[in-house]
Amino acid sequence: MVALTVNNIPIDIEGADDKPLLWALREDLGLLGPKYGCGVAQCGACRVLVDGESTPSCIVPLGSLAGASVVTIEGLPSTSGDLSIVQQAWVDEQVPQCGFCQPGFMIATTALLARTPRPTDAEIDEAITNICRCGTYPRIRRAIHRAADALSQS
Amino acid sequence: MPRIISRRGFLLTGAALGGTALVAAIGGVGYLATVDVDGLNGFVDGDSAVLNAFLTIREDGRVVVQVPRTEMGQGIHTGLAMVVAEELDIPFDERISVEFPTEPLPAYSSWSNVLQQRPEEASGPIVWVGRRVLGQLGFIATGASASTMSLWHPMRVAGASARQMLIDAGAARLGVPASQLTTGEGFVRHDASGRSLSYGDLAREAAVLPPPAEPALKPASDWQIIGTRQPRVDVPAKVRGEPVFGMDVVLPNMLHATIRQAPVFGAQIVRIANEAEVRAQPGVEDVVIVDGRQVAIVADSWWRAEQAAWLLDVQWTQTEADGVDSAGMAARLHAALDSESPYENINDGDAEAAINGNADTLVEAEYEVPFLAHACMEPINATVLVRDDGSVEAWVPSQSPLFVRTGIGRGTEWAGLRPSSITCNITMNGGGFGRRSDPDISAQAAFLAARHVGRPVKLIWSREEDIARGLFRTHAAARLRAALGPDGLPVAYDALVAAQSVVNAITSRNAPFTASSDGDRLTVEGLDKLHYAIPNRRMRSQNVPSHMPIHVWRSNGFSFNTFFSESFIDECALAAGADSLDYRRAMLRENPRHLAVLDRVAAIAGWGTPMASGRGRGIAIEECYRSVVAQVAEVTVADDGEITVDRVYCAIDVGLVINPDAVIAQMEGGIIFGVTSTLNSAITLEAGAVVESNFHDFPMQRMHNAPEIIVEIVESDLPPGGAGEPGIVPVAGAIANAIHAATGRRLRSLPLAITETIGERRTRTVLPA
Repeated sequence: MVALTVNNIPIDIEGADDKPLLWALREDLGLLGPKYGCGVAQCGACRVLVDGESTPSCIVPLGSLAGASVVTIEGLPSTSGDLSIVQQAWVDEQVPQCGFCQPGFMIATTALLARTPRPTDAEIDEAITNICRCGTYPRIRRAIHRAADALSQS
Repeated sequence: MPRIISRRGFLLTGAALGGTALVAAIGGVGYLATVDVDGLNGFVDGDSAVLNAFLTIREDGRVVVQVPRTEMGQGIHTGLAMVVAEELDIPFDERISVEFPTEPLPAYSSWSNVLQQRPEEASGPIVWVGRRVLGQLGFIATGASASTMSLWHPMRVAGASARQMLIDAGAARLGVPASQLTTGEGFVRHDASGRSLSYGDLAREAAVLPPPAEPALKPASDWQIIGTRQPRVDVPAKVRGEPVFGMDVVLPNMLHATIRQAPVFGAQIVRIANEAEVRAQPGVEDVVIVDGRQVAIVADSWWRAEQAAWLLDVQWTQTEADGVDSAGMAARLHAALDSESPYENINDGDAEAAINGNADTLVEAEYEVPFLAHACMEPINATVLVRDDGSVEAWVPSQSPLFVRTGIGRGTEWAGLRPSSITCNITMNGGGFGRRSDPDISAQAAFLAARHVGRPVKLIWSREEDIARGLFRTHAAARLRAALGPDGLPVAYDALVAAQSVVNAITSRNAPFTASSDGDRLTVEGLDKLHYAIPNRRMRSQNVPSHMPIHVWRSNGFSFNTFFSESFIDECALAAGADSLDYRRAMLRENPRHLAVLDRVAAIAGWGTPMASGRGRGIAIEECYRSVVAQVAEVTVADDGEITVDRVYCAIDVGLVINPDAVIAQMEGGIIFGVTSTLNSAITLEAGAVVESNFHDFPMQRMHNAPEIIVEIVESDLPPGGAGEPGIVPVAGAIANAIHAATGRRLRSLPLAITETIGERRTRTVLPA
C-alpha cells in the first residue's frame, strides 16, 4: 500500500510497488486523463505533476511515490471547476485535434510556466518534448505564450 | 437511437432466394425502393423529438446532431453540426452536441465516397441503386477526406427539413398560416401577434409531421455560421481530459487484454513454450491463441496482462519471408520498374515515341519511399461484451462501424459463437490516419469476449505491437521520364510506379474476393499530373506483392507519388534552365484554379527574394481530394549537413469552407505529419520482421524541430472539397526541392535525412553524406 496525494486528495493505493503510476491512476483511481501512448517515457501522453515536476507516469513505479503529491489533468481546474489558465489558453487557441496527447502537453506546460513564467521559444523547445501525431505544435506554442501572458496579468 | 426509422422491407437475400432470377431482380428493385436513403422521417422518443436521422431536439431546447462520421481530430463533428445549425436557424453554441449514431441507417451511408458523386449533383440509375445497396449494407466509413463532401448537403436538407416541420407545428399550434411564421434563435415567431414558441416546446409535435418534399435551403448570402471561425464542439471535453476515447472505456466487471502477434507476418504459432508459467502470473485469467497467429493475455489489469506477455516464449512457424530484409525488398521494387507488363493506367498521345524522338532532352530519375506505420497517438484498442443471450456490444475507436461489425462477426466465429445482435459504439479516435478502418482489433477483442461471456474485454495493443506488428503504408519506387521540347517544357511524360496495391491487400485480408491490383487508384494517385499541360502522357503501375500487410494511410498514393512527380518536375525545370515557379506556371496556363493557388503560395512565401547561403526554397503543388494545394518549404542546411525545415507556406483551394479554422488546423497538422515522413521515419525489415518498435526508433517531429507554418485559404466558388489529407501531399516534394536549392543535391529517397538522437527526446536531422 502506498499513501500519496492525488489532485489534493489523500489516497492509499493498494497494489504492487512496481505498478507504474499511470496504470494505478487509470485502473485503480479511474483517472483517465493521463494516457498510455508508448510506455517508455517517449511521447509524454501520460505526463502528470509529481511534486510540481512534469513526470512521465508510465515509468514511475508506485512504490517510489510514498508521500508524493500527484496532479493529473483532472486536477488542473479550480475547485469550482473553472479551467486553469493553461487549459483556457488551449481552448482559446483551439489546440486539440484528436486530443489524445493534449493532457500531457497541458501538464508539461503547467510545470514549465511555474518555473519559467515567460518562456522564450527556445525554452519551450527545451521543456516540451511530448509528441503530437496530429501536429498541433504551432498552436501549442501560441497557447503557451498566451497562457504566459494571462499569468503575468493575473 | 432506437431502430424505428427506415428499416423497412425484407432482407435483400430474402428477395434473391425468392424464386427465379427475374422475380429476384424485380423483388430486389421493389425492395430497394423501400430503403429510405433520406432519413427525413421523425418520431418521438420520451422527451426527445427525433426530427430526422440527423437531428434530435430535447424538451429543454438542446439539439443533438447525429454525425455518422468518426471524429479523429479533423473537426468533422463541428463542421457538420455547423451546417445543421445554419439551416435549423439556431445559434452555434453549447446547446448543440454531437453523437455518433449507433444505428447504421441507410441515410448515413458513405455511398458518395464509393460512387465518387456529390449528393447534391448525383443522379441516374447507378446512383439510385448504389445509394440503396450501400445504405442497406450500412457502409459507413470515414476517410478519403470525403466527410464534408458526402454529408454537407444531406445535413443542410436535414436542418432545413426540421426547421420547416417546426414551423408547421407552430402554425398548427398558433392557428396561423405557416407563411406568416419566421424562425430565429431557436424560436418559431409570429411577428404579427408577437407570439413565439421555442423549438424545444414544438419539437415533439413537429417530429410526427410529414417532412417537406423539398425543404427550402438558406441562400448562401444569408449564412451566418457557415464560413465563420467556430470553436470545436469536442474541445471543452478534451482540454479537461475527459474519457472520450476507446481506451478510456470502463465497464463493470471488465477484463483487460493485451496481445502478441507474429514478428514475421504470416507466421503461425507452433506452441507456447511456457504457457503454465505465464498463466500463473498475478492477475492473469486467460492465455489463448487467437486465430492460430496471435497470443492474447487476459487479466484483471492491462499492466499485469502486459507484464505477463513480456514473459511469453512463443515458437513461430518458419515462413518464406524469414529471409527478407529491407535491401531485398528495395531490390524487388526496383526490379519491378523493369517489369515487361505493368498495368497501363493512362496512355495519351505517344509518350514512348516522343521520348525516343527527343533523346537529347530526356530527363530520367528514380525515386523511392519506405514502408510507414500510422502511429496514432491512441494505441489500437477495442472493448467488446458478449452477453448470455448472444447479443454483442462493442466500443471501438474506429473509422467504420461496418468494419467493426465485420470484425465482431469474424472473432465470434473463431469462438464458435453467432451473435444474436451487434451494437456498435464509435468513440472518439485518438488519431486515425486510415489505420482504424481494419477489422483486426474488433475481431481479436470479440474472440476474447466470446470466451468470457458476460464480462466486457478491453483489448489494447502495446505501442510496440502498433509500430512493428500492425499495418503499413506500402513502400514504393518510381521511374519518371520526360522529353523536353524547344521551350523546355515536357512534350512527353512517362511515369511508372512499383508498389504493393493497397486495394488488393485490403480485400485479400478482409473481403470474400480479392480485388485486382490493376487500376488501383490508390497506387497511382499523385502521379498523373493531369493538371499540367503535357501533350504525350503515359502512366503505369506494377504491383509488388510481399508478406507485409498494407493498409490505407493518410493521403495514400499522394504521400509518395506527389513526392516523386513534384521532385521530377523540378528536375525538368532545372534541365530546362527555368525557375521552378515559372516552369509550373507555364504548364498550368490553362488551369486558373491551380494558378491562383500556386501564385498565392508564391506571394506569401516571397518566392524569388534572395536567401542566405545554405538556405533554400522549394515549391510543389497537387490537386487532390477535390482541392488544390500548394506549398513552399524553406530549409537551412548547415555545413555539417544538419537540415532544418524553418517554414512551410501553404495555400489551398478547398472549395466552399465550412469552418476556416478547421481547414487551417488540418493544413498545419498535415504538414507536420508530412515533415515526419519526409525527414524522420521509416519502417525497415530484418529477417522478415519489422525492426522499429516505438518512438525512439520511429521518430516524429516534436516542438523543437517542427516548422513554422503559414496557411492561406484561397477563395473558391466550388462546393466543399477535402481537407484532412491535402496538407501532407506537397510537403515532401517541396522540402526535397528546397534542399536542392540550398545545396545543389537532389535527394530521391525518403526519408531524406538521418535522425540522430542528441538528448532525451531530442533529435536532429542530418542529410546523408
